[in-house]
Amino acid sequence: VRGPRFRRLKIGAGHRLDAKASGVFVLGIGHGNKLLTDLYNCHLTKVYTVGGLFGKATDDFSDTGKLVEKTTFDHITREKLERILAVIQGTNHKALLMHSNIDMKTQEAYELAVKGLIRPMGKSPPIITAIRCLQFMLPEFQLEIHCLHETQQYLRKIVHEIGLELKSSAVCTQVRRIRDGVFTLDDALLRTQWNLQSIQTAIWDCQLRVRTEIEKTLG
Amino acid sequence: MAAAWGALRGARRGARPPPPALRRGLAEPAGPRSVRQLREAEEAAPVFQYAGKAAKRKDRVFVWGFCYSGALGVPSFVRPDVGWKRPRRIQPTPYRLETEEKISSAACGYGFTLLSSHTTDITKVWGMGLNKDSQLGFQRSIRDRTKGYEYVLEPSPIPLPLEKPQQTRVLQVSCGRAHSLILTDNEGVFTMGNNSYGQCGRKVVEDETYSESHLIHQLKEFDSRVVQVVCGQDHSLFRTKKGAVYACGWGADGQTGLGHYNITSVPTKLRGDIAGVNIIQVSSYGDCCLAVSDEGDVFGWGNSEYLQLASVTETTQVNVPRHLPFKIGKIKEAACGGTGNIVLTEEGNVFVWGYGILGKGPNLIETAMPEMIPPSLFGWSDFNPDIRVAHVRCGLSQFAALTNRGELFVWGKNLRGCLGTGRMEDQYFPWRVTVPGEVVDVACGVDHMVSMVKSFT
Repeated sequence: VRGPRFRRLKIGAGHRLDAKASGVFVLGIGHGNKLLTDLYNCHLTKVYTVGGLFGKATDDFSDTGKLVEKTTFDHITREKLERILAVIQGTNHKALLMHSNIDMKTQEAYELAVKGLIRPMGKSPPIITAIRCLQFMLPEFQLEIHCLHETQQYLRKIVHEIGLELKSSAVCTQVRRIRDGVFTLDDALLRTQWNLQSIQTAIWDCQLRVRTEIEKTLG
Repeated sequence: MAAAWGALRGARRGARPPPPALRRGLAEPAGPRSVRQLREAEEAAPVFQYAGKAAKRKDRVFVWGFCYSGALGVPSFVRPDVGWKRPRRIQPTPYRLETEEKISSAACGYGFTLLSSHTTDITKVWGMGLNKDSQLGFQRSIRDRTKGYEYVLEPSPIPLPLEKPQQTRVLQVSCGRAHSLILTDNEGVFTMGNNSYGQCGRKVVEDETYSESHLIHQLKEFDSRVVQVVCGQDHSLFRTKKGAVYACGWGADGQTGLGHYNITSVPTKLRGDIAGVNIIQVSSYGDCCLAVSDEGDVFGWGNSEYLQLASVTETTQVNVPRHLPFKIGKIKEAACGGTGNIVLTEEGNVFVWGYGILGKGPNLIETAMPEMIPPSLFGWSDFNPDIRVAHVRCGLSQFAALTNRGELFVWGKNLRGCLGTGRMEDQYFPWRVTVPGEVVDVACGVDHMVSMVKSFT
């Protein structure tokens, strides 16, 4: 009998990634799809590198959209940007505590808050757990954002809102996911590496990490 | 008319296209624009400027808490000016208060507020809230020129009897239960309000009516210039440049620290453990007082029913300042509340002790020795290791902490919404208050708070 060994493969996708964004995209093959649901229920944070450009505002918040307005940006300094980022982090930290559905009056809530382990373990609006500025060279800037339950369009909207808050406007030029839970850029396979051997070694390397993470979070 | 138009139209139909000057509408056919056209349109678009390079950050005042006393300074909360507005009993989140000048110092008393500015104009201090004991001076009523207002709903100027009104500046204000103190740079301290215990620094007059009183007393006799004034519930503390502390007012809990439990009506210097020590900060709000020296030691006197001074003595009243031997590091700032105390060390750690909701969860109700609040509750983490607490403040049963990033954290009993979190429940550990700006200073009262904020850009 001759013919291809694998006729059909069940492949499932992990957290969504836009057509305009790039980065780590987790796929489950065959029996691995069950692990995908478990990973989703762990509610781990994802890390993105978001590039932005001051001076323009478009309708879909990215630089390929229809121009809405052009503004000046020479009054923006790194210090002002860091201040806005600190405020965003503060309000999102508050949202993190509020959506985690724990009664704030208990001693258990206090202890979790001290350790920083309070996290929403169910559905919640997008929350940014940490945000910082990596590069700042007017008019471009780059941010690193750690977030939960987000979409890439939400991150572009955040860039737009940062521009508004600084009394100017901003568009998002690049969204790149560099970490999705336990999977980092180093584990990801490039387009040239999409062959059986590399996929097998990649699955083998990540197996242990995924299993420990699921056991730790879901008990 | 219609016939004439039809004739004209008929003449044009089938004729050559009208000359360009008479044509209306699109000159070229519409269609998807090419990349070059888009780029040219983008370059030709006008550039808007919302802020210039030298745009300054604006100073704002935010208030929140119980409204019916008028202490928030927004009259429409108590007496709505438009039909659709409803009287608001509590303002649960920060609300912006429009002020004419930049406010440099604010103080919240028991149902009233004082705001002061650093200006040399005639009007330097504004007051709002309860005025039943003339703690806001005499506010002349518009309806009857001989009477005064009992409740002031808007920030109203307080007329001070200054010798040089256009040169003196008001440095700081402080409010107690029914009296207030105003500190100026070269005309001493002005006191007004209730004086039944001598807290205004003048002799107690039997059966004096304090409401609608014009009397504002001036205090000048201290060993050197007064640099800080603090009001307790019914007593006043003055700190001078040389590091000495003076007190007057009610002393039944020993809060005047003068060695007796009687009333003092003239500011008298404190002795005890602080004699000869250079004190850099004094604090009080209820009946307990704390003082911090330049070497980082903390001294306490007054009420100790809630274990505030239980580390040195078993008695519930201490009438002489005692050194509190805490081994928590050099202390930078201290604040006293009604039942709990809070200190801030040089490293930026916050310690609490006393009774009530201290900020370490619902299980910690009372402690005599200071307990540290973990810095991770103030936003410190591996991602942000530079966050430090810069100031600590106390209300009657609430605590407030300001970080170096300009964030305000509050915790304690949420009496009539005074915490500003938006919820009515008590807060057992530090919780961020969302204020649209960087918080520079906050003043805590019994059931309301006032904050001075700088806008972001």
